[in-house]
Amino acid sequence: MTPFSSSGPVVRSDAPGLRLSTPSPPQSAPPFSSSTGPVVRSETAPGFRSPAPPPSYVPPSPTTAPFSGFPAPQFPSAQPRLWAHPPPPPPPAGGQVPPPPVPLRPPMGFPSPPQNVNYAPPTTNVPQPSFPGPGFIRPQSGADSQPPAVQSPFPFVAQKGGYAPAPPVAAPLGFQSRDQMQHPSPGPGAIQGLVEDFNSLSIGSVPGSIEPGVDLKALPRPLDGDVEPKLLAETYPMNCNPRFLRLTTSGIPSSQSLASRWHLPLGAVVCPLAEAPDGEEVPVINFTSTGIIRCRRCRTYVNPYVTFTDAGRKWRCNLCSLLNDVPGEYFAHLDATGRRIDLDQRPELTQGSVEFVAPTEYMVRPPMPPLYFFLIDVSICAVRSGMIEVVAKTIRSCLDKLPGFPRTQIGFATFDSTIHFYNLKSSLTQPQMMVVSDLDDIFVPLPDDLLVNLSESRIVVETFLDSLPTMFQDNLNVESAFGPALKASLMLMSQLGGKLLIFQNMLPSLGVGRLKLRGDDLRVYGTDKEHALRLPEDPFYKQMAADFTKFQIGVNIYAFSDKYTDIASLGTLAKYTGGQVNYYPGFQSAIHGEKLRHELARDLTRETAWEAVMRIRCGKGVRFTSYHGNFMLRSTDLLALPAVDCDKAFAMQLSLEEALMTTQTVYFQVALLYTASCGERRIRVHTAAAPVVADLGEMFRQADTGAIVTLLSRLAIEKTLSSKLEDARNSLQLRIVKAFKDYRNLYSVQHRLGGRIIYPESLRFLLLYGLALSKSIPLCGGYADAALDERCTAGFTMMTLPVKKLLKLLYPNLIRLDEYLLKTSSPDDLSSIEKRLPLAAASLDSRGLYLYDDGFRFVVWFGRALSPDIAMNLLGPDCAAELSKVTLSERDNETSRKLMKIIKKFRESDPSYYPLCQLVRQGEQPREGYLLLKNLVEDPMGGTSGYVEWILQIHRQVQQNP
Amino acid sequence: MGWNLIFWVLCFFVDLALLSSNFYQLVILSDLEADYLNPYESSSRINFLIVPEIVVHGLLCALFLLTWHWFLFLITLPLTCYAAMLYMKRKHLIDVTEVFRDLSFEKKYRLVKLGFYLLLLFIIIFRVFTAAKMSFYRSESGELDIRSAFLEF
Ligand SMILES: [Zn+2]
Repeated sequence: MTPFSSSGPVVRSDAPGLRLSTPSPPQSAPPFSSSTGPVVRSETAPGFRSPAPPPSYVPPSPTTAPFSGFPAPQFPSAQPRLWAHPPPPPPPAGGQVPPPPVPLRPPMGFPSPPQNVNYAPPTTNVPQPSFPGPGFIRPQSGADSQPPAVQSPFPFVAQKGGYAPAPPVAAPLGFQSRDQMQHPSPGPGAIQGLVEDFNSLSIGSVPGSIEPGVDLKALPRPLDGDVEPKLLAETYPMNCNPRFLRLTTSGIPSSQSLASRWHLPLGAVVCPLAEAPDGEEVPVINFTSTGIIRCRRCRTYVNPYVTFTDAGRKWRCNLCSLLNDVPGEYFAHLDATGRRIDLDQRPELTQGSVEFVAPTEYMVRPPMPPLYFFLIDVSICAVRSGMIEVVAKTIRSCLDKLPGFPRTQIGFATFDSTIHFYNLKSSLTQPQMMVVSDLDDIFVPLPDDLLVNLSESRIVVETFLDSLPTMFQDNLNVESAFGPALKASLMLMSQLGGKLLIFQNMLPSLGVGRLKLRGDDLRVYGTDKEHALRLPEDPFYKQMAADFTKFQIGVNIYAFSDKYTDIASLGTLAKYTGGQVNYYPGFQSAIHGEKLRHELARDLTRETAWEAVMRIRCGKGVRFTSYHGNFMLRSTDLLALPAVDCDKAFAMQLSLEEALMTTQTVYFQVALLYTASCGERRIRVHTAAAPVVADLGEMFRQADTGAIVTLLSRLAIEKTLSSKLEDARNSLQLRIVKAFKDYRNLYSVQHRLGGRIIYPESLRFLLLYGLALSKSIPLCGGYADAALDERCTAGFTMMTLPVKKLLKLLYPNLIRLDEYLLKTSSPDDLSSIEKRLPLAAASLDSRGLYLYDDGFRFVVWFGRALSPDIAMNLLGPDCAAELSKVTLSERDNETSRKLMKIIKKFRESDPSYYPLCQLVRQGEQPREGYLLLKNLVEDPMGGTSGYVEWILQIHRQVQQNP
Repeated sequence: MGWNLIFWVLCFFVDLALLSSNFYQLVILSDLEADYLNPYESSSRINFLIVPEIVVHGLLCALFLLTWHWFLFLITLPLTCYAAMLYMKRKHLIDVTEVFRDLSFEKKYRLVKLGFYLLLLFIIIFRVFTAAKMSFYRSESGELDIRSAFLEF
């Protein structure tokens, strides 16, 4: 739920209907509808055992979502939701809420004092004066107050955003968050009153304009980025945090017929190792004496939702309802309410995410040490690009930070037309190189000394890394025996497993797995053979990937070539081993060196789970049927992940096994069995519960756009591997249309919908994300729109991105910087730059300086009429030069320091990739086009539709009869 | 005993071999589904059999053509073409990395083949008996019965 959305309170008032299926006891209806919000909270409070509510409950900063958790309708007009002016009412003195213009208190008194703690602190309600742009005081709708003015026809403005400088009153906004708002009469009946439970967007002629269409300003935009759904976490406070597990809808359909009307994916997105902020780390539990408590039948791990009975001697599994014995050592008495008396010492019974230390039964072999093997291309292109030097230096600087000291093992091999191994035995003073040139019959010399313990051989390893860049600097070899080198690496690593990092600079040309140039043929596009370009050309790569997984080897590919390298084939190695593909097209160390350095360092130093397997269990009646992401299935439901880390997420779809669900709640449990770098075998367990719902409207109400978009994108990318790009886009669009159509059918009988497109509040951004997805690199256009290698890399990457990161990539941040840079305020006051702009060319003012950030790169856009001072300060004497040759660096002035500080802050906020800064000036074609304009997803561009057009298109299709 | 009988007996054994190969593969796939076998093991076992099976089936089909058994040739032809097409597309082998995604298709494909070979087996058994009777009959009367020629389709 996005803050500021006018329907916030109404979602609240819908909540009682939802709660019927939740464990909390039903309560009498609140005195008046507008106060349901706090009542829900106070009701769930007793079950709220976790001391720390999700961070979004507490407004972290004044600008973000003051009402996110609590719509606090008790202060109806005390919240002049001011998106801006003109003219802004003066901020009230002392941070006090301005006096209400109209009698705002509902006839009945306020709820009891304890609920007052739920109010958003008044100070956060103070309008932010820094919001530029037009806006107006948003009236409270319906029950809360008499509308102060004529604004009631447009109670909604896209979040936080005056989009274009038009006076609000004049704008005939077509967007109505709710038609007939809630019944004004307070009282219990109000909840059941005639309410439109949906948002709508009028399609048709906008008053004052001849063109039929949609009002651009009113369109919903995810300018707050990803907002995790809170409803489920509030109903089931012991669920694991949404950063670990998100369901596409937390209302699980009660029947197959209902599920078949839900045309969006039904499933989950799991990020088992997501980084938790300080203080929220997953607790590690050691069950040394009792062994790990699991259900005898379904092997579920003990979790907060199991119930203890029989005076504490038995526990009932929440997934399969089997009554299990409590082992003697785990026994504890129950108190009067049936809870264990030792509950507060048992995190596994109170928290949705825990980590068990696994005893020896969970090991097929002793836990492996962290092992890193580097396979580096040293052919002439690699030498020329400077890649070898950056890699060697980065590895050397990370030696101290590699996880798992003192057990960490390391090894190196390089290759051109031959394969070179390095003996790094600790007794040597410097490494010995051994060359294998027989590519048909690979053998590995001295296998024991090629992979060495890092702490023992530290000096030899350092000597090797220091000399590596110079060793090949005169190499003129133009061949690449990639396949044989890969086989040799497998032979070397098969004993222990580990992580294989491949640095590849050209198309493999010798021995097995050699590849040929493809993708240059324009004619293939649009035919049935098109998808083959995105698949590995040679079955060798799939076979190797399977072998790597078998021997617990995770592969990460770093590719650098400016020419075709067949990422489709190489990336397969990463895809099935839980790895990732990093591609630096046309790598030059001067430009991309920093990016490679950071990303490689991140890869080497982030916490990694070794030889892992993951399984997700779910309660009776549902079953996970397909899995999507970078992994290999070891059995029907077991994901093999040789090396997995916090930046990897996995998606899965579920289906109902029987026609009707018999339970009220479905439980999910993700278990990741892995070897931690310290050598401990551990099981990370995330448990979540979700209610079973019987109507489609409820499923929509509890939908999670982020999870849905993640699953949709993975399904669409998989579709590009078996059919044309166009088909993949069409099937994506069809799915969205079907979903909207069924949603419309829910309401078309009771309500006059006319020419409106209606959608649930929870899915208000789905259309935009759908559009962005069909314009994303893996799916967009045809031959000319993205280089094949970049397309494939983006595909591999998007298959593994966690929800937040994916949403940011699909709808990047666009922020205006010049005002902030000129302001004399303290550089820590970032409030003005946290305002994101719609991704449309109309957002760009030629007097401004803008930053575009999609999480993978930054583009700094210099407006044509930007004040020369700023440009001068930022670029120094280069400011007149062509910006493609200029790099941004800190200069000795306040403006430049401020900008670098912002960039640094953004980089630190998401360390998984290191965005490089690209500068572009307005009108500088074609760079401006491909760097920025192409990515403004709301604009029509080269045959693709813009946001408005897309909405009209979807609307047309929704209205068509099937 | 005439060549005819020998031919049909040969066909019988060839078909039996194809039948059992398919049955074996189905068992492996079921084991894989039930997690008794890992994907590496099961796909390598199945892939070992696939090419020989295609070759044997192709030979059988060719044999029917060469001996002018039009009907049998025509009913074995579609499967030959399909297998050849898979082979040309290099999709004939089980893909170990995606084996679970393709599992239901692979099982269905093999079930259909199993049914087909079973049907073929019945036809061949019938032919073996007819041929045995025929060779006996022919050796007695010394001339070909027009009806038996018709029965050859
Ligand atoms: Zn159980």
